[in-house]
Amino acid sequence: MRRFSILAVACLVVALAFTTNAWSFGRKTVIKIGINAPITGDIPKVGEGTKYAAEMWLEDVKKAGGLEVGGKKYPVELVIEDNEAKAESAVKANTKMITEDEVLVIVGPQSSKQAVPAGDVANNYETPMISPWSTNPNTTKDRPYVFRGCFLDPFQGPVLANFITEEFGFKKAAVLYDVASDYPKGLAEFFKQAWEKLHGPGSVVAYESFTTKDTDFSSQLTKIIKSGAQVLFTPQYYNEVALIVQQAHELGWKGPIVGSDSWGSAETVQLCGKDCYGLFFSTHYAAAGATGATKAFIDRYQKKYGYVPDDVAALTWDSLGIVKTAIESLDKLTGKIKKDRKAVRDAMARVKNYKGITGQMTFTEDGDPIKCAVIVRISDKGEYEFYKSVCP
Amino acid sequence: MESTKSNPTLSQDGFWSRLRSGLARVPVIGWLAGGLCAVMVEYFLGDALSYYLGLPKIPVLFGFVTMLKKPLLIPSSTAYVILVYLIPLVAVGLLTAGPANRLAAFLHRRALWLSAIIHLVLLYTIIHIWSDISDYRLLLLKLTMIAIMLTLSINVINGYMGEFSCSHPGFMALGAYSASTMTLILFTNDKLFGPALLPPALGPYCYPLALIFGGVVAALGALVVAIPSFRTRGDYLAIISLAFMFIVKSVIENLEFVGGPRGMGSQPNWSNLPTVFVWTVLCVWVINNFVRSTMGKALNAVRDNEMAADAMTVDTRKTKIVTFMFGAFWAGVAGGLFAHVLRYVNPGTFGIQKLAEILAMVYFGGLNSVVGSVVGAVSINLLSEMLRPLELFKWIVIPLLLILVMIYRPTGLIAFREFDVRKILRPKQ
Repeated sequence: MRRFSILAVACLVVALAFTTNAWSFGRKTVIKIGINAPITGDIPKVGEGTKYAAEMWLEDVKKAGGLEVGGKKYPVELVIEDNEAKAESAVKANTKMITEDEVLVIVGPQSSKQAVPAGDVANNYETPMISPWSTNPNTTKDRPYVFRGCFLDPFQGPVLANFITEEFGFKKAAVLYDVASDYPKGLAEFFKQAWEKLHGPGSVVAYESFTTKDTDFSSQLTKIIKSGAQVLFTPQYYNEVALIVQQAHELGWKGPIVGSDSWGSAETVQLCGKDCYGLFFSTHYAAAGATGATKAFIDRYQKKYGYVPDDVAALTWDSLGIVKTAIESLDKLTGKIKKDRKAVRDAMARVKNYKGITGQMTFTEDGDPIKCAVIVRISDKGEYEFYKSVCP
Repeated sequence: MESTKSNPTLSQDGFWSRLRSGLARVPVIGWLAGGLCAVMVEYFLGDALSYYLGLPKIPVLFGFVTMLKKPLLIPSSTAYVILVYLIPLVAVGLLTAGPANRLAAFLHRRALWLSAIIHLVLLYTIIHIWSDISDYRLLLLKLTMIAIMLTLSINVINGYMGEFSCSHPGFMALGAYSASTMTLILFTNDKLFGPALLPPALGPYCYPLALIFGGVVAALGALVVAIPSFRTRGDYLAIISLAFMFIVKSVIENLEFVGGPRGMGSQPNWSNLPTVFVWTVLCVWVINNFVRSTMGKALNAVRDNEMAADAMTVDTRKTKIVTFMFGAFWAGVAGGLFAHVLRYVNPGTFGIQKLAEILAMVYFGGLNSVVGSVVGAVSINLLSEMLRPLELFKWIVIPLLLILVMIYRPTGLIAFREFDVRKILRPKQ
């Protein structure tokens, strides 16, 4: 019995000696960049946009022969992990990428409900992370290692309130939002605050809510119409936007409807059709009529994947661009991952006036960018036209 | 059964059959010794070994992830697993079979608790050393153990009592939120509740109280489901319990003081490995005793025929109330632990998706069986991590496995099996 096991071990050892010779892998410094994206789950379109943008970015980097740090080119690898649009999966994915794959930087997760807990992991392990799309202030708050690629809701709310006041001169607004979803609820509150600051208390004449996956909004819309509001603000996602706008028009709503960056998906117009033409929303970038680098990105993406990229893809692209700038601004990579991560974090905090396709970016101390919002008008052809740019 | 296994002359005198009969003689304590040896080998030699095998790092989950990501590394990953886990485990198991059996026999004659504690200490040492290699393993272990608690607690209701209850994510949410609220108010300076009321140093000692509080709140919530269960069964109860889950979710969404849909964060990091391990063991022990008690037999009677059970003097109302509250209590405790592992909870986590996960684990593992629940929770959790590199196809492979299990073993992998600790720990010679 024992003779057999010893023999087996001996055989294996010999066999392994050969495999070691056959596969002579060394451990050299490779820059690994983690992507934490919702590839499956509730919002697969967001994950797809993230993945595609990252792959395009990798293509460019590979073409250039890798990232150049201190005159030396390092190969780059992407580690794409699926977070299934779940908080605990995002935490697992981050822990795995940080401790197992030893990534230098993490880009993602996109939604706040994954980015808030995942940011905690990244900060605890002192690994720089940049969430391109998360708008919840808690994602970056008191976390020196966590950054984001988009503006926050406390900025977007006042931008919209000011825009409506200047553009239409209205005094009474109505808000319709999803009370069960983090993003619309937060933005609705910030808009209400900003509007009441401009026009006095009570100027938001209707503040109506519904719950995720509701499809009939007629009771709320009837109340809104009866309240005498001049404009309706609804910071909802594309599938709800179509329903709200169509139902509002059926019930006889005549005034404008204004939205936020969650409208920015390509699906909004497809689902909503003519009802959405002529409406305004604030977002990170406007696809129609874009120029320069933004146009180049959009054309390339459209050619490769067959549709116009939405804001998630553009923000991911920019976040990766910031990561690249930060890494390339270093003098050298030590190969010791902890030191390098800290160096990259400091370099990211130092990035000034980064010219991205979604505008210029400089990080505040909290890791939030100072950048302009774009007001987009949905044209009569259903394209997202640049209307005006609002800067802080 | 016993004699064929331990008698080598009955089978062919080949290498494999001798190995097989040799392995059958190894008692649990021998396997634990082998496991300990394997993780020690990995702890001290793993890094060097993986280097010489051309692996980028120590394979984190038995080489699965590495294999799926880079098929070229399949031979070296397999070799690593064989060298580090299989050979020490089998070799030590076989070599120490004699003394291990004598030790097991000695412990067998002593009190059960002594033997159980010795085995558990060994088991804990193994998982501690194993998880020391990487924090990813640690996190995975903690979440897996929490999943074991959840699966067991739903098995009491869905398996032993035979009611189809869908409210488990709701119970878990109640536990998670109550335990977090307590630790945040009392021991943490945070954004939601302001400064701590008690000195934070006391916190880790009072953490069990917070977990029990979470469990109790969940148990109170379970009353809401238990009372309608007097009148309805089957589909109707499933719908009522599903409604309960949604009620809990929307209540939390509308409660501003716990953060609403934004969720609640910055819980202290008190769910470390020993804590989770102790609670899991406690949960397995208590639930196992519960289902083997008179009450447990009453549960089966209610499942098989409620009217007959009633006629045979089983108090069906009491049975149902107690079972629902008992199952919910452990779900609440698991929720509390979960919240302190992730250190963030939001109501969206405790929705249909969570329910599907819990149900998959319990039906995969097996109804009416403690071992089945453990097997189900561990395998679904490990599988979903191991198959991570497959991305979208993961959600084809796992459901396919579930379907296959449902075809070939309709009640789950290990169903209707009693978990007798004394029998498991006994010597094999």
